[in-house]
Amino acid sequence: MKRAAAVVLAAVRVMLVVLALGGVARADETKMVGVITKIDIAGQDAKVATATLRDVKTDKTVEITVHDDLTLDKFKDHRINEGDEIRCRYEVKKGKNVSTYFRKTAGC
Amino acid sequence: MPRPIAALLALTALTSLAGAPLARAEDAQQQKIDDLTKKVEALEQRVKKDEDKSLSHWLTIGGDYRFRIDSLGGSVPNYYQYTGPTSMPVAAPGFDPKNDTLMTNRFGLNLKAKATQDVSISARLLMYKVFGMETSAPVNAGFFADRMQTLDGTIGHVPIDNTLRVDQVYATWNNIGGQPIWFSVGRRPSTGGSPTHVRQNGDRPGNGGVPGLLVDYAFDGMTLGVAPEIDALPGAFGKICYGRGFEAGYGSGSNSLNDTEMLGFQLVPVDTDPLRIDFQYNRGFNIFDNPNAVGNQLGDMDWIGVGLLSTLKKVGPGNLTSFASGGLSMTHPNGNHALLAGAGSPDSGAGLLVNGPDTSGHTGWSVYAGLRYDLPTGTKIGAEYNHGSEFWMPFDPAADDMWTSKLGTRGNVYEAYLIQELPLQPISSFNAKTFVRLGYQYYDFTYTGSNNWVGAPVKISDLAASPMNAQMFAPLKSAHDIYATFEVKL
Repeated sequence: MKRAAAVVLAAVRVMLVVLALGGVARADETKMVGVITKIDIAGQDAKVATATLRDVKTDKTVEITVHDDLTLDKFKDHRINEGDEIRCRYEVKKGKNVSTYFRKTAGC
Repeated sequence: MPRPIAALLALTALTSLAGAPLARAEDAQQQKIDDLTKKVEALEQRVKKDEDKSLSHWLTIGGDYRFRIDSLGGSVPNYYQYTGPTSMPVAAPGFDPKNDTLMTNRFGLNLKAKATQDVSISARLLMYKVFGMETSAPVNAGFFADRMQTLDGTIGHVPIDNTLRVDQVYATWNNIGGQPIWFSVGRRPSTGGSPTHVRQNGDRPGNGGVPGLLVDYAFDGMTLGVAPEIDALPGAFGKICYGRGFEAGYGSGSNSLNDTEMLGFQLVPVDTDPLRIDFQYNRGFNIFDNPNAVGNQLGDMDWIGVGLLSTLKKVGPGNLTSFASGGLSMTHPNGNHALLAGAGSPDSGAGLLVNGPDTSGHTGWSVYAGLRYDLPTGTKIGAEYNHGSEFWMPFDPAADDMWTSKLGTRGNVYEAYLIQELPLQPISSFNAKTFVRLGYQYYDFTYTGSNNWVGAPVKISDLAASPMNAQMFAPLKSAHDIYATFEVKL
């Protein structure tokens, strides 16, 4: 099992480095984890949607504007639904919280 | 006093006299508004509390039902039948096994319960049986190692009986330390992995699961994963997986068995609709000879795989899904031989893809590719092909194929299918659907021993050439399966 332990350690190191490189939000961004309470999207051709998230830590609700096609597709075909927990980053533009990262919390 | 001033004073006096009750009315009205606001807030709190306690807040129920009918046929050439370590093999004439109709019921119940913040339990209960039978005998016909008996990791994935069994149950701790890190432990979702979900009309894989080409087995184990937020790598994640395939128990002075274990590392640098890339490395330690009666352990194995999966929208009138996977398997035999029937039974003379005193390691390879075109009418047309080399040996015994796991075939397998979703409004969930599936599989075996890690493969065309090429299982040269299903997903 020594070789196995070495493989695990190497993999953990890779994961920690990747996490350190990727886990930092920009200064003008806010990060949150929240549960979707409402999704507003106007049909299959919509180019924008609004998701209301309830922050799991503060219980406050935040409206997030979503523009990116990958997330819009997931709204449209219900791969992301109300009740899903989301890890989100957003920045304020013209008074709106515009999503820069919107993804179901990871896990299995 | 001038008259206008006197009039103004008189008006002011009158106004103040009249204003007093007006102000009192305004105060009362404000009080009412304040009271109402408090009541609404209290009501909101109560509604929220009720919502938080409601089943739908913490429990998700899903599942599926499948009726399937298969029509199976095959061809066994002349060969020599192994009859034991001390007796000569006997010549066996070829024959054509056939089953016109084999019907099965499969029912799955999925539960996901949020227990506390960041911790949930997921479970899948599964019943899978043959029409008219309460045993697995009709599908354990003696041709392939993965269908000779029901294993711990195939239970519920090959038809057995009408018992609803725990196919999966695991607890997941998400958002560890506020980071996108998770730990998950239990009976794993290590079956039906990407891209085998495409032909099953299943959901696209998330962070769970394993590459279908390398592993399809219900493991008890655990995972530690991370999904970093890297803008240039959307959907990226990596995880370390561990599974135990055999527990040796307390042992005694005469027990030399070790636990059989699997360690894996998966890296998915991109996971989007247009492109998903996965890399997987696994190592299996102390591979058992027969998982239901372990007599000996034959050595270690390594697996490496890479997979690409893509869904492109609006390619013509519909969407196009395509995939390609490649894999390598490498054996490290330890010189031990499988015993014929567990501890103390005779030596079979066969080791980890080797025979006799040979302790050579062997590398096998495989490719798996497919396409599916989805029309707006709910019609999905797909085709798949896979090829495995002489020494290809994945860990796929729980695969959803009747003859044997097609991805473990040493030879070629061709499959074509048509799925028709019924235009019915979903009720139980947004993704509920009902569909029928028609398919055809053709197996063209080049070497013996598909999905069997015991003994050296023999070229099918050499089977009758020498008693030295004797086989324990009747070797199929070719096989086909015409199948149809009626499936409901909740």
